[in-house]
Amino acid sequence: MTRPTIKVRCFRYDPETDAEPRFQEYQVPMEDGEMSVLDCLRHIREHLDPGLAFFAGCHLGFCQRCTLRVNGKVVLACETTAGGDMDLEPVNADEVIRDLWCGST
Amino acid sequence: MAETLYDRDLTCDVLVVGSEGAGGPTAINAARAGLDVLIASKGRMGRCGASQMAGADFNLDGRSAIALGLPGDERDSPERFFEDLVREGFFLGNQRMVEKYVEYAARNTADLLEWGMPVFRFEQVHAEEMARGIITSGVRWVRILRRKAREMGITVLEDTMVVDLLTREGRACGAVALDLRSGEVVLIKARSVVLCTGGWQQAYHFNSAAADLTGDGQAMAFRAGAEMIGMEMVQYIPMTMLWPPLARKSILPYIMMETEVGPLVQLLNGEGERFMQRYDPTTMEQSTKEIVAIASELEVEAGRGSPHGGVFFALKHLTPEGIDFVWGKFVEFLDQNGDKRSEFRKLLPHLLEMAKTEDLEVGNAVHFMVGGIKVDERTRTGVPGLYAAGECSGGLWGSVRVASATTQVGAQGRIAGETCPEYVGSVEHAEPERAQLEAVRERIMAPLERSDGARPIEVLERMYGITDEYLRVIRDGEGLQNAYDELNWLRRDEASRLHVTASRTRRLNREWHLCLELENMLLCLEMSALASLRREESRGGFYRSDFPYTDNDRWCVNAVISNRDGEPSLRLEKPVVTSMQLPSGRMTFEEAVASGTASLRRGEVEQP
Repeated sequence: MTRPTIKVRCFRYDPETDAEPRFQEYQVPMEDGEMSVLDCLRHIREHLDPGLAFFAGCHLGFCQRCTLRVNGKVVLACETTAGGDMDLEPVNADEVIRDLWCGST
Repeated sequence: MAETLYDRDLTCDVLVVGSEGAGGPTAINAARAGLDVLIASKGRMGRCGASQMAGADFNLDGRSAIALGLPGDERDSPERFFEDLVREGFFLGNQRMVEKYVEYAARNTADLLEWGMPVFRFEQVHAEEMARGIITSGVRWVRILRRKAREMGITVLEDTMVVDLLTREGRACGAVALDLRSGEVVLIKARSVVLCTGGWQQAYHFNSAAADLTGDGQAMAFRAGAEMIGMEMVQYIPMTMLWPPLARKSILPYIMMETEVGPLVQLLNGEGERFMQRYDPTTMEQSTKEIVAIASELEVEAGRGSPHGGVFFALKHLTPEGIDFVWGKFVEFLDQNGDKRSEFRKLLPHLLEMAKTEDLEVGNAVHFMVGGIKVDERTRTGVPGLYAAGECSGGLWGSVRVASATTQVGAQGRIAGETCPEYVGSVEHAEPERAQLEAVRERIMAPLERSDGARPIEVLERMYGITDEYLRVIRDGEGLQNAYDELNWLRRDEASRLHVTASRTRRLNREWHLCLELENMLLCLEMSALASLRREESRGGFYRSDFPYTDNDRWCVNAVISNRDGEPSLRLEKPVVTSMQLPSGRMTFEEAVASGTASLRRGEVEQP
């Protein structure tokens, strides 16, 4: 059985070494048919790119530190279903420490 | 001298490692006593650790509750609460610690009420026959602690992982931490250190905890020479969501079981049978966490599980109208208390909607560490100047945690904050030894500097493989021996040569942090496997299929692990007794069930 795959474009930026931000594309298989945005990010870090920076905490909406933008909209990654191809960006690009992790989150 | 070994240094009287349910009260009480307190938190205060996710309930005996203006039960008393805790913990608890728990449960509640913690309800929780529980919100609790700590001007180093303790002539004199944002190594000189770091749930794939809980406190205490107790006693919580993925790890079904809805719920196996009637026909699904977890796993082992390896939490028989009524009641309760937590507001209605047409798949998640760093009733470890409070400590509960952990962490936090000032007043700061600083720095930096070695993700997956296969609710000697051998090998041969494979940056490099956490989780697991293998009986939440009885003649003893040249070494020790004599004889599992749920049954008699 082939599992459907979605295209996830992630904001990548290291203010110390990169002149400007860029987007990196990953193919993420939809394990078991349903995943949260945070599950997608964990899949990327565990299987595709261990260097991606984002925050994963309580997974259930308590800590609210996984706040980011999915296709421009500010949401919690843990409680948002990954519905199809998506662009993931930090809440505020000016505050980025690295990638999707902002100073304020 | 050692400038190159760290990037920054700080000095304080008390370093509190962890900022939440235990760390908050420790810091607040130590600051009240006039000490210079520094908190180092792996996350952000009020947004990390286990406490924020608590239901939450706080316990105290009925008589003390009345004294605080709560609707307690006059028949209750601190003595009765103490006896229930010792008996239902199957007598392994340190009775001096249980006495302190009961005493400080009331003081902790008084503190929290004074600081503005709301009381949603006062009721029966944790299977007591009498109301001993304040129901509130974990999020509100940790925010109150944060506000109080801020009011008192306590400094908090956030996103800062303490990696190792420093000792001089056998006593604690500080710690070395990693600032996760900047990657700086921070030296913290302290006259005393209190560990409030929680459990090591993340060593298990299916757990109900936040990502921070990786056994850092237990592991660093062990490396500094402190002992562990009860490491085999791991509490699993049944009725944790297995499916769908968005709800995974949520304990909402378990929480539902604790409400008025509880008696309406049916737990079914894969064949549609209400299996609890074969394990605990009197209390059925309302039995204790431990018994429901063991029963659920026995069903799965017998091939009667759900597709994702659990059992079914069924509400369908209530009809859609009945389920809407249940949700209405929840909404009323949430509105009345201004509770905005998204687990209740968003996930719960989603699950109830699902439950109209399908049964929810639930399983046993690793929930709470009953054992940990061996402390006395004043939270002192065997290392002078080193204290441990809350879940990272061990010795209070014996073999089952039968009352509230939120109360434990608050009570022990306050005790630690009251205990360390006396010690702090008697010692001067000690200069850390260069050799120790060098060794810790080497441990921190090595994974970034190695060009080859073990891949952290692979070690993590191997670790999950071991815990998934052998370190489950139901254990046996052969599996435990395999687990111990494999963990020992992983720790010594693989965790010692971990290397960062992707980015070499020192800023927010999760792969690097994982290397440091893996060493800690593997050490905790190995100690847990060692103690599990040694305990040839079943007791409380600890179940061995090759020894399915409670053997008080041989095993009413604690497994204590000490550090012998860096390796865990186990010895057995009688529990500390004050007023309740230790039992003798053997009990079958069925007799143990009756004993473990005695107060539930008593409750049924008293409430016709």
